[in-house]
Amino acid sequence: MGFEQCHPMVNLIYFFVVLASTLIFDHPVYLAISFITAALYCIKRRGIKGGISVVLLIPCIILFTLYYSSYNHFGITVLRSNLIGNSITLESLVYGGCLGIRAASVILWMSSVYSVFSSDKVGYLFGRLSPRFAMVFALLLRLFPRIGQEAVNINNARKGIGLSVSQGNIIARTRNAIAIFSALITVTIEYFAVAAESMRCRGAALRGRTAYSIYRFDNRDRSFVLVMFVFITSVMMAMILSQTDIVYDPYIVFTPISIMSVCFYAGYTLLCLMPLMLELWTEYCFKQLQNRASDRNGLYS
Amino acid sequence: MKQFEVQKLSFSYADSNKICFDSVDLSVDKGEYVVILGRSGSAKTTFLRHLKPGLAPFGKLSGKIFFNSIPINQLSETDKVSKIGFVMQDPDDQIVTDKVWHELAFGPESLGWDQKEIRAAAAEMASYFGIQNWFHRKVSSLSGGQKQLLNLASVMITKPEVLILDEPTAQLDPIAASDFLNTVRKINIELGTTIIITEHRLEEILPYANRAVVMENGRIIADDTPKKVAEKLFSEKNPMASAMPAPVRIFYGSGAEGISPLTVREGREWLEREFTVSPFVTALHEENLKDSNKKALEIRELWFRYDKDSPDILRGVDLSVEEGTLHCIVGGNGTGKSTTLKACVGICPPYRGKIKIFGRKISKFRSDKIIAKGVALLCQNPKSIFTQKTVIEELYEMTRDEETIKNIIELCDISHITDSHPYDISGGEMQRVALAKVLLRKPRLLLLDEPTKGMDSFFKESFADIVMKLKESGVTVLMVSHDIEFCGRYADKVSMFFDGSIITTNTPKRFFAANSFYTTTANRMSRHIFNNAVTAEDVIELYNRNRGSRNEEI
Repeated sequence: MGFEQCHPMVNLIYFFVVLASTLIFDHPVYLAISFITAALYCIKRRGIKGGISVVLLIPCIILFTLYYSSYNHFGITVLRSNLIGNSITLESLVYGGCLGIRAASVILWMSSVYSVFSSDKVGYLFGRLSPRFAMVFALLLRLFPRIGQEAVNINNARKGIGLSVSQGNIIARTRNAIAIFSALITVTIEYFAVAAESMRCRGAALRGRTAYSIYRFDNRDRSFVLVMFVFITSVMMAMILSQTDIVYDPYIVFTPISIMSVCFYAGYTLLCLMPLMLELWTEYCFKQLQNRASDRNGLYS
Repeated sequence: MKQFEVQKLSFSYADSNKICFDSVDLSVDKGEYVVILGRSGSAKTTFLRHLKPGLAPFGKLSGKIFFNSIPINQLSETDKVSKIGFVMQDPDDQIVTDKVWHELAFGPESLGWDQKEIRAAAAEMASYFGIQNWFHRKVSSLSGGQKQLLNLASVMITKPEVLILDEPTAQLDPIAASDFLNTVRKINIELGTTIIITEHRLEEILPYANRAVVMENGRIIADDTPKKVAEKLFSEKNPMASAMPAPVRIFYGSGAEGISPLTVREGREWLEREFTVSPFVTALHEENLKDSNKKALEIRELWFRYDKDSPDILRGVDLSVEEGTLHCIVGGNGTGKSTTLKACVGICPPYRGKIKIFGRKISKFRSDKIIAKGVALLCQNPKSIFTQKTVIEELYEMTRDEETIKNIIELCDISHITDSHPYDISGGEMQRVALAKVLLRKPRLLLLDEPTKGMDSFFKESFADIVMKLKESGVTVLMVSHDIEFCGRYADKVSMFFDGSIITTNTPKRFFAANSFYTTTANRMSRHIFNNAVTAEDVIELYNRNRGSRNEEI
């Protein structure tokens, strides 16, 4: 009931924008927004596991910042000298922190990308590039798990006559493992040959292939895209007005923070929060429905 | 109007001089349901593949094939794909993509249909074939029967005029097979699609087919309605006669002449006409069960589950197998039959219960120790145990003793294929090679998991011969099977498996006589007249005894 229900194209554009902005922006405020929202969304989608990964990422950021600032000494604001006499500067410390946060947010966003994009969605997007490409993708998605399963089957079948990888002495085991591996290669070749035959049979070689998709671009997708572009426009404006620019060397220079820049921050935050808000909203609606249903049931019972 | 017209078609493979089939003439009308019969290796498959462009093997070909009066190789590429549908034997072979919906859409995608057309057609197909509930599932999560149904649907979606099926149910269990064949019949009746099919399960096909074509050594030796073909085969004493459905075999076996019954209902009616008064002898004598003390295998309250949180697969299995017997376990799919066998060799170690092999308890279920005690399991798919390049090398993998290998080759009758690649031989041969390989372990207790799957009646007979010889030499055989005809004929004892445990065990005669649905065709056909006739031979014997006594009376 969330962002994964949206059309794959919407998912793609959204994640592209968010990841691109995270990579382009050097401004600590924007990076912080990206990191916090990515963390929230990751926790929303993956629950405790997401929370753990966020918590683990924070010390990584700090360590990276320290590492970066002790090896890069640009900037003029010297905070102190380290053990071997190199100066630690504010500029390199802040820039290192920004790099760390950027890397962490990209990791968090990517974990959301991974959970939103099912193989069907990836297949659909390949299909937009070229139907043939999508076909090969689907073929591989079937073949690889099949080969893995076959390895288990072969090993089990050979266990019944004492020739598996877990029977006999170390030499016998190695020999069995090699035999199973070579059988797997034969099986794989055969899979490809048979699949090619079946595909030819069903016209895979014909010209003018299309790619069928189970997705429909509905009104919710349209409104999502509309809202998304409003926020993207605001971010673009921020970029045009140099709100996102910052220079670290020789000293930190950025456009002074005004009421307008706070508005831009808000716009970017909302952009990054869109999938989270969508999911919370659907859940809220659903809960309302359920409450109403249980009220009604209570009334009748 | 003619759908297919095959004229003087001859073919031999490029790398061998042996003629595969020779001047075959066949014409198939639109809307016909044609069954092609013949023993394994009679070139049925090769012939069928020539009817589907793109599947025909390479080799020397002469003669002509017309599809709707057009030479088949002059059809447009689109027609070659869409007008002639082909369903392969192994359900897994035909499936290309990873999702059910994608598999359905594959054909239309190739033909360049647009989104709307595909959506409508896929919806229609899914509803007609009852796929809608698993439309979004992964193909790998489907059962064999579902996979084959999906193959059928994804071929039918391009609206072919003719459907060619090459032993489509060989890999399926009886229930799935009968579902599948019913769907094929429905397609023939409701859509008028021409059907050309090869199949071993003749009992479920012959009654509905318009025509039966018998191929032998690359020639067509009979081509007529199923009943006439049956009559011809029996009057000529053709070996194919033994592949006929039980009612036919009983009819001709008892010496009757003319047109035979094909279905159980017709068979029952015929027997009723023959025995208007109930016969004197209604049951065959049967020796009482001797419980020998020597048990090859004793299982007590075996419990097994795959994971801590998954449901129990085995729920207290109790079984004892006496030494030197053939013990069969029958029962539905997914009830835990195969798992029981796997538990016996330590592939699926149980979490509760005891297993005794030849009186010795196996305390820790270590598989190599169990196998050292003289137990071997032949798993369901014989292909899985092959890893070498030739059959003989497969055997050498087990032992280096030439003498033993020679004996086993002779026993399993595989001397003609020792130099072939184990993947290139037919299913029945593969099963025998696998058996040979397992026997080189010199097991005293042999466990077989559905060994007769996909075998034709001839291979079954030769397989039964091997098992009987093994039994004579003192090997105990425990076999899991869906093939109740085989169990009824050869087993010493039969057990019924249901819901993770064994419900009953008895001799085949008592076991099947007590069942009324889950029993052999011969028994279903004769149970209103005779008490414990399980095989066609039993019915014939009882029939003859009674007829003899009747004649004496007169």
